[in-house]
Parts: sequence; C-alpha cells; structure tokens
Amino acid sequence: MASGAGLSAGRLVGRPVRRREDERILRGMTRYLDDIDPPGAAHVAFVRSPFAHARIRGVEVPEDLEHALGVFTAADLEGRVSDLPVQGFEGGRVSAEGHPVLAGREVRYAGQPVAAVLAGSRAAAEDAAELIEVDYEPLEPVLDARGSDVTLSHWHKRSGDVATAFGTAAHVVRASHSLPRLAPVPMETRGAIASYDAAEDMLTVWVSAQDSHRQLAGLAAVFNRPEESIHVIVPDVGGAFGSKGAPAPETMLVAAAAITSGRTVKWAEDREENLIASYQGRGMEAEVELALDAEANMLAVRARIWADLGGYLMPTTAIPPHTTAMLMCGVYDIQAADVELLGRRTNKVPTGPYRGAGRPEAAYFVECTVDVAARELGVDPLELRRRNLIGEFPYRTALGWTYDSGDYARCLELAAELVEPEHSSDDQRVVGTGFGMYVERAGGLFETADAELQADGRLLVRSGSSPHGQGHDTTFAQLAAERLGVDLEDVELRFGDSKEVPRGVGTFASRSVAMGGSALVQAVDGVKRSCLAAAARLLDVDEAELEWGDGGRVSASDGRIVTLRELAAVERGIQASARFESDLVFSSGAYAAVVEIERATGGLRVLRLAAVDDAGTIVNPLLAEGQVIGGSAQGLGQCLVEEAAYDEEGNPTFASFVGYSLITAAEMPPVAAAFVESPSPLNPLGAKGIGEGGAIGTPAAVANAVAAALGGVRVDPPFSDDKLWLALRGQAS
Amino acid sequence: MRISVEVNGRAYEGEVEARTLLSDFLRHGAGLTGTKVGCEQGVCGACTVQLDGEAVRSCLMLAVQANGRALTTVEGLAGEGGLHPLQRAFHEAHALQCGFCTPGFLMSMDAFIREHPDADREQLREALAGNLCRCTGYLAIIEAVEHAAREMRGA
Repeated sequence: MASGAGLSAGRLVGRPVRRREDERILRGMTRYLDDIDPPGAAHVAFVRSPFAHARIRGVEVPEDLEHALGVFTAADLEGRVSDLPVQGFEGGRVSAEGHPVLAGREVRYAGQPVAAVLAGSRAAAEDAAELIEVDYEPLEPVLDARGSDVTLSHWHKRSGDVATAFGTAAHVVRASHSLPRLAPVPMETRGAIASYDAAEDMLTVWVSAQDSHRQLAGLAAVFNRPEESIHVIVPDVGGAFGSKGAPAPETMLVAAAAITSGRTVKWAEDREENLIASYQGRGMEAEVELALDAEANMLAVRARIWADLGGYLMPTTAIPPHTTAMLMCGVYDIQAADVELLGRRTNKVPTGPYRGAGRPEAAYFVECTVDVAARELGVDPLELRRRNLIGEFPYRTALGWTYDSGDYARCLELAAELVEPEHSSDDQRVVGTGFGMYVERAGGLFETADAELQADGRLLVRSGSSPHGQGHDTTFAQLAAERLGVDLEDVELRFGDSKEVPRGVGTFASRSVAMGGSALVQAVDGVKRSCLAAAARLLDVDEAELEWGDGGRVSASDGRIVTLRELAAVERGIQASARFESDLVFSSGAYAAVVEIERATGGLRVLRLAAVDDAGTIVNPLLAEGQVIGGSAQGLGQCLVEEAAYDEEGNPTFASFVGYSLITAAEMPPVAAAFVESPSPLNPLGAKGIGEGGAIGTPAAVANAVAAALGGVRVDPPFSDDKLWLALRGQAS
Repeated sequence: MRISVEVNGRAYEGEVEARTLLSDFLRHGAGLTGTKVGCEQGVCGACTVQLDGEAVRSCLMLAVQANGRALTTVEGLAGEGGLHPLQRAFHEAHALQCGFCTPGFLMSMDAFIREHPDADREQLREALAGNLCRCTGYLAIIEAVEHAAREMRGA
C-alpha cells in the first residue's frame, strides 16, 4: 500500500511523498528540549515521594545546602500557584481535585513531587536534593479501583428499553475484562526551560509538548496570569503518544523557579522520572453483558466500567474513560444500552490520554465480549459480526454519538482476506486467529491556520496544529501545494511558537489532518481568492476571466500570465486566516491476528497481523502506514510485555527499562496494512484520523486470537508465558 | 581531568570531571547534540556512538575512557559525497518518525554491517533488537537496514 498512491490521489495529495523533516534528523541537527543549553541556566532536581500514600509532617532543608541556588516546597508556592485545572465531560460529574504543583500535607503516589532544588548543574541539583529530609507518616494505600471508596468521576447513561431486551433475549452473554496500566514511554523524556523578564513581565517557557496551546492555558490558570504575558515555544519533540498533551506539575515548578530566581531554569527528566511520574494509560476494568435474539442479532449492551484514575485528576485524566463508555456499542447496531462509568481514586500516578485514550479499552471490552458470544452461541465470530455491523451513515448510537461515515463490512472482509486465518493444534503448539474491530472518535472542536504570500512568491503557513513525529511539515505542505498548484518547496510551515502561530487546539485525538489540515486548506483558499482579486486589478480584467494554473500562474483569457511572485511584488500583505470547526469524525477499522502458543512454555508468538483502517482521505499513504504500524507495535507491546505494575505497598516495579520492557525489532511480526477510504462529510478533505488505529485494533485482535488458540479460555494482557501456560492446562492464573 | 579525543576527525581537548559520562561530554562539552540520551541505563541504544569504529553506548562510558581515541557520532556519518547509505535508506523507507532514536540506530547498524557485511534479514533483526524505537514499529527500519546493507556490500 505504502509504495503506491492512495485512492484519492491528486498531484501531491494521496502520494507517498518522502518526508522533508528527515535530513536534519538523519544528520543529527535536531533540537529537542535537552539539546537547548542556555548559558548560565540553573537546573532543577525533584524530591519525590517514596511512599504511595503518606501524610507529610514536615520538610527539613539543611541550612547550608551545598551548591543549591534555591529550594522550593509547597509552602514556598502557597498563594502563588493553583493546582492544575481539571477538564470535565458532558453529562458527567467530575471532582475538582487537580494535581498540586508540589505536595503539601499529603502525598498520594510514589513519585509525586514534594520539593525541588535549583543548582548550577543537574548533578549538583540531584546531590543537593538527596540532603532534603521529608518526614512522612505512611498511610494505607488504595491500589484497586474497585476497592476504592473515592469516586472522582461518574457517568451513567441508559438509552432504549434495556430491561425488555435482556428480559426477552434468547441469549445473554457475560464477560469480565481488565486492562493494566501502561507507561507511554516517548523516547525523549519530558522537560521544560523557563525564563522570566521582570521588566516586561513576560514568562517564556520552552517545553517538550504536543502543542503550545494547552501548555499556555495551563500556565495561565496555575499562575493566574494573562495569556499575553506568557510565551510558549515547543522545539523538536521526540514522541509523546498523549503524555505531553496536558501540562505537567514539573513544568509549573520550573516556571515558578524562573520567576522567583530571575534565572533561566531547566528541567530535563531522566528515564526513571518519566516512567514513574508521567501520567499513564489504560488501567480499566469492565463487566459487560450482551443480549442477543435467537438469530444472534445484538439487542442491548449493559456495562459497568471501573477506571483507576490515580491520586489526582490531571487536566485530561477524566476524558479517556468517558470515551470508552461512549463507545460501548462498538461498530454494531445495538439499539439499547446501559453503561455506567466509575472513575476511582487510587494511590498511583494519575492516568491520562495514552495512544488510543479510551478507544483501545472500548474495542477490547466490546470485541472480546463478541467473541465470547460467538463461542457460547456456536456462531462463527466473523458471521456474528457481519450480522450486526452498522451499515448506514450517519448513524446515531444508543449512547449518543453520531458516526459520520464508514464501511465496516468492507474493512472486516479485507482484514479476513489479508490475514489468512489459521487454526491448528498439535502436541507442540496451538495456533489461533482472532479479529478486533474498532470505531474511533477523532477530530472535533476547532483548529486554525494563517497563510501568507511572501515577497518571493512562496507561501508561509502557520498552523495551530503541531508535530511530534507525525510528519506535519510534509503532509501539510502536500495539502497547501496541491491547493495552490505549486511545488512542495514553495510552501513553508511553522508550528509550535505561541507568539507566532494562531491560537488553536493542538495535536491529539488523531485530529491533525481533519482539523488542522482543513483549516490550512481554507486559509490557502483565502490567499488564492486574494491573489485572483489582485491579478484582476493588475491585468485590469474581470476575475471571472482568470484561470488558476500550474505553478500558481494566473492567466487571463487573452493569454497574459501573472505569477505569484509578481503578484506578491505589487500587492503586499496577501494573507488569510482560517478557523475550522467540526463535530467529531469517526475513523474505523478491522484488525486480525494469527498467534501461536508453545505448549511446553506458554510462550506466545504473534505470527502476523492484518490492519485495515478507514481514516477517510489519506493524504500520504507512506506516513499513514507508518502511523498504523507504529500504533500496532504499541498495541502488540501491551499484549506481550507492557504493564505498569505496582507492588502491594504501591511501589512502582517499572522504574527502568528493566522493569518496563518495550518490544524490539526481533518481536515485530509482519503487518499487512490496507486502507479503506470512506470520506467524512464533515470536512473539506474528507479526512478522519489515522494516528491511533493500530494501538486500538491490535490488542482486541490478539486477545481474540489467543482465546481461540486456547480453545476458548480467556486471559487478559499482557499474555505472559506463565499465564498462558496455566491457561493451556485449564487453570486460571 | 584533562582529556583529548578525536571526534569526527576533529581534535577536542577539554577538562572533565572523573564522573562525566561520554554522552554528556559529547553533548555538552563538544556541543555535538546529535547523540541523544534516552535512558542512561544502557538499554535503549539512543546514545550509541562509535569508538575506534566499534559501536558503544556513550551513557555507559566515562569520558576519560575515550582519552586518546577516535569517536564518530551521527554528525560525522555523512561523507563529503552526501548522506550515508543508511541515512538514504531510512529516508526512503520512512524508517524514522520523531527521530530521537534515529542517531543510535544509524551508528549501531553502520558498525554492525561493516563487521557483518553478509548478515541476513534475521541477523539484522537480532542486531536491531539492541535499539528501541517507540514510533515506527521497526518494520520500515528493518527494510531500510536490509537495503543499506546490500548497498554497503556493493551488491
């Protein structure tokens, strides 16, 4: 797929254009946060709680703390900073317990920042931090969401006649599911640099983040400062996967230290901090019931979901579980639903959006329940799906979201064809095939772009969206150049500087092309209109007689031609701004996996994957496939090795790459990827989103393949050797 | 302590603390920030450089251990004639996304292929398992490395 053009190929759009960003990366010329070394900067090291839950009796700072330039505790920040703000969601009750910048009287997870030390180097700051004594009174930690008696978010929705559906159903299928917490693990850890200009009252913050907008809003809220007095700059970003979207408490401390000390202050976290103190993904359990009639038509779904939210609500902690709850009808035409969500406080680091952000959980809960139903009813899992798939769009679900477009049946058939299903069993090994379908909420809200014709006739575009590995500089240039009829080199993109780019929403929820791309083409169209008007004046003809040609040449009916460069010379300041707004769009797809389990050891090998995604119009099939395979690898990691587990006292067991493994090239199976392109009617590009499908579809497909190989015995991920070995012997782990 | 090393063919002399890691010396002492630090535990491979032509994890070495020796970092990989075959192949196969792990992959695999010019796909996959990437899912990297290996052995 990647080597060819997409179905909707134009001159540039739909083509596998190689990335413009690559050369400077390949030559080592990038500038990530820690590559910025402001002269004379002070460095921060944090004192973090070693307890999952404790009362703080006091913090003792030695009088003459060697090399320290400053020490910060909650008492030093009192009255100057607020807790991080909390975002709610429609129809839900969400607590206002935001994350404090530094812990005051209580710590609620191991790794929570309690104090911070400022010194001339990171090493000196770490040395000094070790001399700070915190007097803790340990308290009993709560580590299980179901066992917690503090509900931080609650949502319950009933729609349709659920009671009658279950009362009259020919079959009622019940399934329990549990997905452990995962660490997002971008290869570049988090970090921030801040400086404060007292004369101008201007706070400048460089931060490794998914966008400048949410960092800016967070800083403004925490410091109660007008947004105009804050400048946020996002440099090169080495991956995020959701974890650099919401502002971090550590970033706030760095800013506070810069304001207090008058120095430039830098924090580039190490891997241990990243693993234990970044907000995590997943951590949800569910009990699901499905009512079906005698012909295996799905009548109603009933579900209760418990989310392990951690000690506090980060700005977006409450959002992913709500997404899960809203997607509990999956890709199926189910007319009645009763879904309750309980987001519980536990003594762990908060959860938050991590690639998929609630959608992999929904796909796993729904799709594994569907396979349980297929086994109990004695129906082929593919046939059960075919019978119940939504076929017409727009489709309003029982839970209230409107799926805009899709071709679910086509995705499923293509996945079945690509994966080449296999089931076998001998005395050495068992082999099984499984399917997982998904529907993904993407886009929504708004995004912005400014386009400006420069004096040399090239187009400069400033986008509210911003990259951290996706390839915006290429994809967005393809869109702009195609629209204007010029070459890629004639388009320059700028991102990530809050003083330069228009205020937007940012990069998450697979929204860049659908939202940012749509705003961009609207801004480019605005420039094009102004160019036509300018050309009409210059050539003294009616606009209707002008034609827009290749290379951005405007020609009159008498053959006279004017180039963009000539137009820019006579008419200064041709520019246009756009703000594109739309309802949510819904990507979808079908994944399939063939797995093999060795009888002697319980060892799992994923032999191959098929990935079929419908993200609407694909702008660059090469980059889109890169997103699919990268997402699949994360989904596969979740199946094979990844789990952010805490011991019985609430200590993280995953503080290094020894305790938290990622898969390597040696474990990656072949992936047959294909796209179905049902355009969204909600934006001018027909685009949906492709950033998360791989992470959403893969776990459900692999889990169903594992259950098929085990002859119907179910276990939850990660599918470790010991769990599968016991399952092969018919014992629960 | 005073050390003198050659980095990418250029002589560097400097004063370092005994505890200074080679990665920190390269990044902050020599100003060569192309070498990235991903874990400081020797696991992720992002900090891989070549010491006298051999791939080493610069976060697991002290700067003083490199005294009197020759280092190559990602900044020195491309020659006068343009990008190295691995760099070209990574670009062509879309084997990089955020790019943070890329220098480590390039430096590891350049050394490996020079040492094992006839490595097959399985051996290349095994060799790649010493470097972590969170974006690409590795398949494009495997494709790029196979392609570059063919080119490097002149096939």
